[in-house]
Amino acid sequence: MCEQNAAEIRRKVDRFLTRVLKPGRYLGAEWNSIHKEWESTRVHMAFAFPDVYEVGMSHLGTRILYHLVNSFPDFLCERVFAPWVDMEARLRENEVPLYALESFRPLKTFDVLGFTLQYELSFTNVLNMLDLAGIPLRSGKRKAGDPWVIAGGPCAFNPEPLAPFIDFFLLGESEEQLPQVLDLMAEQKENPRPRADFLRRVAQVQGVYVPEFYQVSYREDGRVQGIEAEPGVPRVVEKAIVKDLDQAFFPTEPIVPYLEIVHDRMMLEVMRGCSRGCRFCQAGMIYRPVRERSPQTLLGQAEKLVRSTGYEEISLTSLSSGDYSCIRPVVGDILARYGGEWVGVSLPSLRIDSFDVELAAQVQKVRKSGLTFAPEAGTQRLRNVINKGVTEEDLMAAVGAAFRAGWSGIKLYFMIGLPTETQEDLDGMVALAAKVLDLGKRSGVRNMRLTVSVSSFVPKSHTPFQWEPQERQASLAQKQQYLKERLRDRRIKFNYHDVATSFLEAVFAKGDRRLADVLEHACRAGCRFDGWTEQFRYGLWQESFRELGLDPGFYANRTLDYDDVLPWDHLESGVSKKFLMQEHWKALREANTQDCRFAECTGCGVCPGRGVRIDLKG
Amino acid sequence: MRLRIAYSKMEAAKFIAHLDLARVFERAMRRAQIPVAYSEGFNPHPKISFGSALAVGVEGQKEYVDIELRQEMDIREILGRLQEQLPSGIRLLEGSVVAPGSKALMAILNSAGYLIRVPMALPIGPERLREGVQAWLGRGHIPYARYSKRGPTEKDIRPWVKRLTAEIEGEEVVLELEVEVGNSGGVRPEEVLASLRELENLPFDLEAARIRRTGIYVQYRGQNYSPLDTPKGPGAKSEAR
Repeated sequence: MCEQNAAEIRRKVDRFLTRVLKPGRYLGAEWNSIHKEWESTRVHMAFAFPDVYEVGMSHLGTRILYHLVNSFPDFLCERVFAPWVDMEARLRENEVPLYALESFRPLKTFDVLGFTLQYELSFTNVLNMLDLAGIPLRSGKRKAGDPWVIAGGPCAFNPEPLAPFIDFFLLGESEEQLPQVLDLMAEQKENPRPRADFLRRVAQVQGVYVPEFYQVSYREDGRVQGIEAEPGVPRVVEKAIVKDLDQAFFPTEPIVPYLEIVHDRMMLEVMRGCSRGCRFCQAGMIYRPVRERSPQTLLGQAEKLVRSTGYEEISLTSLSSGDYSCIRPVVGDILARYGGEWVGVSLPSLRIDSFDVELAAQVQKVRKSGLTFAPEAGTQRLRNVINKGVTEEDLMAAVGAAFRAGWSGIKLYFMIGLPTETQEDLDGMVALAAKVLDLGKRSGVRNMRLTVSVSSFVPKSHTPFQWEPQERQASLAQKQQYLKERLRDRRIKFNYHDVATSFLEAVFAKGDRRLADVLEHACRAGCRFDGWTEQFRYGLWQESFRELGLDPGFYANRTLDYDDVLPWDHLESGVSKKFLMQEHWKALREANTQDCRFAECTGCGVCPGRGVRIDLKG
Repeated sequence: MRLRIAYSKMEAAKFIAHLDLARVFERAMRRAQIPVAYSEGFNPHPKISFGSALAVGVEGQKEYVDIELRQEMDIREILGRLQEQLPSGIRLLEGSVVAPGSKALMAILNSAGYLIRVPMALPIGPERLREGVQAWLGRGHIPYARYSKRGPTEKDIRPWVKRLTAEIEGEEVVLELEVEVGNSGGVRPEEVLASLRELENLPFDLEAARIRRTGIYVQYRGQNYSPLDTPKGPGAKSEAR
């Protein structure tokens, strides 16, 4: 079914597209989309996002890399997203292979298929997309004419469950690394050498990890015994880092989708990295150090974005935009310039301790949806454990300022199952919610609405909590019920996540290569879109683990030892294992670690020897 | 100033959903740097409004949109600048200034024509086709089941159909359909097709039907007028009321 050409695919798809949900997901002729000539470009890449269009198109990294690759005359980049289940059924029934949106060419005809791994529960979609494309799932089964299948993104820092399916992974920031890889591919295409030779060459690029060059052995009890690198490749693969973010490529003519996507607005990346040091947060560890863009650069980009997209809103994005040192002048300047054209500004998240009510009042999005704060834990003791440096006074001050400025809706984010959590911490959440309601009443807020959102802690690789277990499902579910009963109030809306979903996320976040068989089994059994509640089929997962004789609890619920070889020990984010151990140890002693932007160096290890440093513009 | 623009929405643009179309125009206007007027209030929205919604997948040969601007501009310049910023399937055809206080498109458009091409699953002759269509039109009452969240409901679709002709072109049947549109209901062309197949056994391959709305009109005393040049009638200026 893969011999079909683009015209045939287009003709077939056109016949059934009116009968699928949101046909705009599968058309690819959006404003600013790039349609390059196939024949005059040397390397053809399809950028694959293993979730639906509306999610994938909302992801800034996807947009950066799509436009970056296309900015090179030699390279062509098109896009593909996971087809929703209705479209998948139509594709299979009509024997149409998965195609790239711009040209409708089958994925199989591309030189390279690059997945971004944002979420463990999209792993089955990666396999399913390969299957829909008619590409053999396992690297070892693919032939010379098949595309290279590569993958990056945060989950590439522990990609072991995907190791047999992906030719190589890209760790870290791809702005400089990916073009180098594509150059090597162009050479390889024109002057083919044996597969292993090419992989050995590409393994020399910063951050490239070729799993087949690393042999993993296991102990009898299932723990990893050792990870052996073959000669000629790095023993430990270190991520790639963009040294000068201010000068780095940024797309100023981004695609404007026709159908509404999750984050349907212009995005300006004000900085990269976060050094607050929350001990559960993987992004806060793997994107270090903090590097900011200058206000001049951002305003120049904003001008081009407004003109090229016509969007009505600019989002200032980063892991913690309230911490950007020039946030106030940049928001002020953008509003002064474009407010008259009805262009607003939004901030994705606001910190409690640096909450700036005037800033919040200026930005449009928060006003509509209510203000969100994330104390994460219910007591000061537990907030010290996770190094969330906010106090109850900070929260009450921020909420009070918000009430005085006219907000009536507040959303609080918490986590349950954090290391050392006790009953007292749960009661702390309930007490905090009551205090917020009480403050609202005393401030004369009418129609007060409080949303309490509780997610379950998922230990992640490359964090100080990587040695911690996830709490058992039954116990997490009990805590959810306890909170649900305690938070019964008509002003409160209580949200919580499905525990089985969080469990599976933990399994794959800390998984090893043996999980690959489970993944393939589950995918063949029909698991996909596992992060979507209505699609999640836990029974099939349980069956898959049973079938392959692996205990998922071994990965999710086991406490690891400092001496254990971790499945990701050969992959390095720059933050040293020693620092992570220290942080873990400090967590258990309820001790805080300061942010290196405002205090001294914490010795996390990312800056020395890598030619990078904290780069603040304010 | 308030503008009324006629446009076509063909090819891939037929997949742009009605709810998304306002955003497509809003963003195109901002790229073209034509200042759209916004509503007052807590959650301002652009003053862009359409006539009757076009279903996803149905082409529109001549559709209309009203756009209010914050300042006076030359209409030809507006059309030229806006056209450059629209997706390729949307062509601006003509436009004119609408007097303040005129009724909205939604309130005046009451008639629509469709051209439908549908392949035959089994070959039939023109005689059989004509008989089928005549028999269908001869029915006084044509129930059709619609499915909503509250379960199936049955509606009589016959009153909405004003004219229907069909002929054979190669392996396809080409139908011309004229229907009444209104706030109180209506009929969708694919419902007419499905009903013809079900009640008169006409062998249409429904999945492969291609539908185009050829026009949408202000019908007044049996005559179809464009909302751009309606004479004295329901769509005319306020003094004519």
